[in-house]
Amino acid sequence: MARMKFLCDAERCIDCNACVTACKNANEVPWGINRRRVVTINDGKPGERSVSMACMHCTDAPCAAVCPVDCFYTTADAVVLHSKDLCIGCGYCFYACPFGAPQYPKLGNFGSRGKMDKCTYCSGGPEGADDSAAEFAKYGANRLAEGKLPLCAEMCSTKALMAGDGDIIAQIYRERVTKRGYGSGSWGWQTAYKANIDV
Amino acid sequence: MFKILLLALLLTTNAAIAQDRPAAPVSGFNPTQSEVQQKALLNGFDKILGNTTLPDSRAATLIQPAGPAWRDYRRSWLPWIAAAAVLGMLALLLLFFLVRGRIRIEGGRAAQTILRFGAFERFMHWMTATAWCILALSGLNIAVGRIVLLPLVGSDAFSTLSGWLKISHNFLAFPFTAGIILMFLIWVRHNIPGRLDVEWIKAGGGFIGHAHPPAKKFNAGQKAIFWIVVLGGGLVAASGFTLIFPFYFTDVSGMQIAQIAHGLLALGMIAAMLGHIYIGSVGMEGAIDAMASGDVDLNWAREHHSLWVDEKIERTRGEALKPAAHPAE
Amino acid sequence: MLIKRRDAVAQKNRMLSMLGELSSGVLDRRAFLRRAGFAAGAVGLSGLPLGSVKRAEAANIDQSLPVKRVKAVCTHCSVGCSVIAEVQNNVWVRQEPAFDSPINRGSHCAKGASVRELVKGTRRLRSPMKLVDGQWQKITWDTAIDEISAKLLKIRADMGPESVFWLGSAKFSNEGAYLFRKLAAFWGTNSADHQARICHSTTVAGVANTWGYGAMTNSYNDIRNSKTMIIMGGNPAEAHPVSLQHILIGKEINHANLVVIDPRFTRTAAHATDYIRIRPGTDIPTIYGILWHVFENKWEDTNFIAQRVYGMDDVRKEVAKWTPAEVERVNGVPGEQLKRVAYMITHEKPATLIWCMGATQKTVGTANVRAYCILLLATGNVGSPGTGANIFRGHCNVQGATDAGLDVTSLPYYYGLAESAWRHWARVWQVDYEYLVSRFDDKKMMETPGIPSTRWFDAVLAAKDQVDQRNPLKAMFVMGHGGNTVTRMPEMVKGLEALDLLVVADPHPTTFAVVSERKNNTYLLPICTQFETSGSRTVSNRSIQWSDQVVSPIFESKNDQEVMYRLAEKFGFADKMFKNIKVNGKDPVVEDITREINRGAWSTGYTGQSPERLKAHMANQEKFDVVTLRGKGGDVDGDVYGLPWPCWGTPEQKHPGSHILYNTNLHVKDGGGTFRARFGVERNGVNLLAEGSYSLGSEIKDGYPEVTYAMLKKLGWAGDLTPAELATIQQIGGANPDTVSWAIDLSGGIQRVSIAHGIVPYGNAKARANAFNLPDPIPVHREPIYTTRPELVAQYPTMPDFRSFRMTNIGATVQKRAVDLGVAKKFPLILTSGRIVEYEGGGEETRSNPWLAELRQDMFVEINPTDASARGIQDGAMVWVTGAESNSKAQVKAMVTERVGPGVAFMPFHFAGWFMGVDQRGRYPKGADPIVLGESANTLTTYGYDPVTAMQETKCTLCQIATTI
Repeated sequence: MARMKFLCDAERCIDCNACVTACKNANEVPWGINRRRVVTINDGKPGERSVSMACMHCTDAPCAAVCPVDCFYTTADAVVLHSKDLCIGCGYCFYACPFGAPQYPKLGNFGSRGKMDKCTYCSGGPEGADDSAAEFAKYGANRLAEGKLPLCAEMCSTKALMAGDGDIIAQIYRERVTKRGYGSGSWGWQTAYKANIDV
Repeated sequence: MFKILLLALLLTTNAAIAQDRPAAPVSGFNPTQSEVQQKALLNGFDKILGNTTLPDSRAATLIQPAGPAWRDYRRSWLPWIAAAAVLGMLALLLLFFLVRGRIRIEGGRAAQTILRFGAFERFMHWMTATAWCILALSGLNIAVGRIVLLPLVGSDAFSTLSGWLKISHNFLAFPFTAGIILMFLIWVRHNIPGRLDVEWIKAGGGFIGHAHPPAKKFNAGQKAIFWIVVLGGGLVAASGFTLIFPFYFTDVSGMQIAQIAHGLLALGMIAAMLGHIYIGSVGMEGAIDAMASGDVDLNWAREHHSLWVDEKIERTRGEALKPAAHPAE
Repeated sequence: MLIKRRDAVAQKNRMLSMLGELSSGVLDRRAFLRRAGFAAGAVGLSGLPLGSVKRAEAANIDQSLPVKRVKAVCTHCSVGCSVIAEVQNNVWVRQEPAFDSPINRGSHCAKGASVRELVKGTRRLRSPMKLVDGQWQKITWDTAIDEISAKLLKIRADMGPESVFWLGSAKFSNEGAYLFRKLAAFWGTNSADHQARICHSTTVAGVANTWGYGAMTNSYNDIRNSKTMIIMGGNPAEAHPVSLQHILIGKEINHANLVVIDPRFTRTAAHATDYIRIRPGTDIPTIYGILWHVFENKWEDTNFIAQRVYGMDDVRKEVAKWTPAEVERVNGVPGEQLKRVAYMITHEKPATLIWCMGATQKTVGTANVRAYCILLLATGNVGSPGTGANIFRGHCNVQGATDAGLDVTSLPYYYGLAESAWRHWARVWQVDYEYLVSRFDDKKMMETPGIPSTRWFDAVLAAKDQVDQRNPLKAMFVMGHGGNTVTRMPEMVKGLEALDLLVVADPHPTTFAVVSERKNNTYLLPICTQFETSGSRTVSNRSIQWSDQVVSPIFESKNDQEVMYRLAEKFGFADKMFKNIKVNGKDPVVEDITREINRGAWSTGYTGQSPERLKAHMANQEKFDVVTLRGKGGDVDGDVYGLPWPCWGTPEQKHPGSHILYNTNLHVKDGGGTFRARFGVERNGVNLLAEGSYSLGSEIKDGYPEVTYAMLKKLGWAGDLTPAELATIQQIGGANPDTVSWAIDLSGGIQRVSIAHGIVPYGNAKARANAFNLPDPIPVHREPIYTTRPELVAQYPTMPDFRSFRMTNIGATVQKRAVDLGVAKKFPLILTSGRIVEYEGGGEETRSNPWLAELRQDMFVEINPTDASARGIQDGAMVWVTGAESNSKAQVKAMVTERVGPGVAFMPFHFAGWFMGVDQRGRYPKGADPIVLGESANTLTTYGYDPVTAMQETKCTLCQIATTI
């Protein structure tokens, strides 16, 4: 079974934000919710790099671990999803997530943030049938059910953001690094998980 | 001849080729070193920060490694701490009860009662206490409900219940905070620690042995409870307000710390309050009257707050005394 | 089962959008009821108030309805990414990546990935509007066309046809642009222009004057072959993001050098192997600084120069003055940095030079691009894979609109304005030449270039005797052009207020609608986007793509062609103008316009790209190679993707198009070429034709002039012409068939026969390093009008005052005054401007798209930390930027960043809606104001125009920044 992952090649990312608006487009994400964002490190200085960031669909997801109502689940494709019906909007998943993926429609109001929303790897949610209007209304598109990949990666301007089976995209990245002759390991792994992935 | 010319040609062209590619100037940079080093970025900061055009400042944090650390606290440490605070305390109280039994009024019930707490004081206490009880239970639900309760009632019911409990928790924060502020204002002068308290503690407070060390309105034990409620409760409230106005006062690191402080302090309070509730109800005969009707048995008062009784009778010229509702046998 | 109550706001917006769709007849009854039912069921019980659940939009596939897949082309930049639209019931419900396109392979940038929102159009103009005493009133189309045409005709009668300025668009399709130019011609004026004026007009003029055509010589895809890529005066990571796909992949595969020369450390520079910071406005010293090392070390390509370049010795003389010391004194770059570049461009070949606005938007823009071309010529980096002048154009069809002649200096397809050009088009249009003459004030005006878009307001405000036409401009008809794109906006505002009539035809109201104090005689016409009509558009590499209609025009909008037809009807020449164009009701058939172009555009090779061939390319995109752009198999075998012009001959001759211009490695029938012979055969005894260089298979093994009938006869090939072709040639030539050239032969026979014999119809000449007809035949450095180095002005002054484009150009006077008054002391920072990735052009359309607007909510100025701390400016603080003319000022947010060097400030040019500190949101028609408003950079920009094209100087002026005004 495939393990679906994202990998953003910081050598190619140019902060064009196609991934951001593609996500908005595919999932009708409202203003104020940023499922995906691009962060630029060392802006304006040599060594500047940009990275596209959304939910990384961690294998041992911290958000799922800390949720008081256990509203997360991992699909057979290793995508981490959650149920908006069960979510109580407490915000704990944001504290636990190293990547800042969870988003909330409201801020304040005595901590009532509304239902958490995040990148679903374009694979919808637990609502009824795949690809139904009800699923779309709550979670956005279910491209995976149609055999497609998340739109952010499909529309990345330079093919920096890759989505797909973890082994395959790691292989692609490895080939790129070899061809270039330089490049660090998967960006962010060491920081987020204190683990090193050799590429 | 031709060979010499060819050789000459080769030498000259080689010489031309051998002209060096000018080195990268000092202001240029080496692409192989241009990878941003994660470790270097974390030096001095607890997060990897960058720039983003989104107005939300949280979006500029690329990675905050403290998240999984907070997760470890919440899933690995907190359940045990909660168990110790609640179950451990209950176990201790049970043990105490079995060993010491109920603390009785040694002189038996008197024919009179004395006014201990007026209507407003009782209202203030019960408002705070009721709020606190629901806060404690709903808080425990956030902390360990998933482990303890969810398997019993199922996801849908648990989520619905938790949603309501969360709302109650957030709203009851206000009466609770108001209550402890009132308590502080109204009772602080009776809770200043003094020499009397040292003596009281040395005498075991009457819990160990049957001594009845003198005390004013509040004895050392009660003063401890007061300060736990006011200071502990105050910190719980402050951290709580930080939590219900997310990111208004601090960033994600501050929120994590606030959440940890809130939980641990609250558990400490729960442990303390279990003791307070025990002694105020089952643990001591006559104690409940203080907050129930406000009039306590005179003998009880003389045994536990002798100095207060004298001072009260004198100050109210006996008005504080009333015949007992239930005459002594 | 709990039902969540929807958020009230979301509910209201949904209702509005549903009603909007109903009013345009877009939704059918069945779908409406289904949606209404869904909404009703979900509103139901008031459930837990636990926050909102996302509302349903029309943005998902309804499994029970059929899906139509339409292939269109993005309407933003000139990369030309293909877009796949999934449509149900005339509603664009989903956007999918177009993986098959060799240009973008499914990729987009933020703008392309969000184009579906453009036909949702929540902030678009919905109906025609008229400004009455400062209030916008809705009117019908018929009323609008009636009133506008009546007013225009009155002005024509009273003041003359030259008093109306026709400002067209780089967003037109080729058909729309061509039609607009034709409309202006029938109206009787050459004052028809579009965004190329402010963008690459200097490129077109400078490059064409060097070697023949002023367009990108290679392609985005071909850059994958380069070993050295120099990007000088461009930031493609933000302006053409998908081009970076080709650049970065090429860089990785070839271990290529990527050299970025720019005053700012941009997102492009972040991926470079070498970065060089220069003072804005010092491009020629930089190029000559590189050439100095090339010539000094004898690294130039002597063979190439000898065979294919004229006048390089004149360049050597100028370059000798630019020693490393002088270069560093003027532009701040140490000599060693440029030596490295000189080495790379000559030893690590093929090398290409990429540029955009940084090269063009200066008073020396034409000279700049000529210097760039000279560098490529000197190093032999033109006319083969991986080389070339890779000019990244701006808007989605600025190349096509430029080609279609939406330019005050020419008729369509670069024929110019001479009598022979008019006669050619009279033949194509099948109207009397004399009729066309009668439309103008006189024959002289007919052959005089018009007022450029950069100075239209000067022509409004000028006294009658200061403009070389009967009367000043009185009316402006704007179709698809922003109002914040020209310099000197405070002056422009005065011009706007002085107009008797202003018409803005656009999907959005634009800055024109709000920036002035106009109260009356202003009309807004809602025009649909290119997604709501069909047509062809030409991308930067000259490939032409056919974009299919995705949905019908939304609300009451109409397409460009229909509006032009309606006006032509009112003006009384619709029958003549649309003689060979079928009109369905009032809507011209787009393909008929394409075919008319095919029948007339011989000079540029727009004749072989019939609608059928273009549509076949779009349908068979996957057959084209991503590097060579050659098609393999099926209908498109051997074609180059998009049939990039020149695509010689008739469509039946099936020329494949020319991927790489001037490429002598290929036979002309496969897309090979030579440098054009445009400038004569010899000059002062020096041969201007190529020597010993010719395209593959050429039967003339040397240079040759443009092909005429006479030349064919001399070569003995005239017999190859068919009787029909010969008849046409004789009919055109009349008494002198000998003079009929490859460019005016409507039969295409001269081109066909030339190609059959391997010769290029436009001749085989040397490229001109010395362009002897230009004001500066050899590029010469001239300081910007407003410079921080006034001491250099004496040695490098701007062009002396001159007259061009019907008005005086007082650049030298302004520069001298700035020096004398010490303007640089009061305004010590160099202000430059440019693009950001989220927005495009004037920004009204992109700032109305919520998905883009959210990403950049504030206008800003980039300021270096040294300059900021000297002024007490914190990052994110509001500051006042003041300009050197008109007491101009703008209140914007400060972005303190090292991206700009000390002494330089940068502002993006996409913002409008605030003017000199005043919020103008209330002036927009209700509901049509963009989400994000901000100050325009051009409020602060200043006088300065290129002598050849009247390009404005937006890349280097002066400003001051302070926390208070």
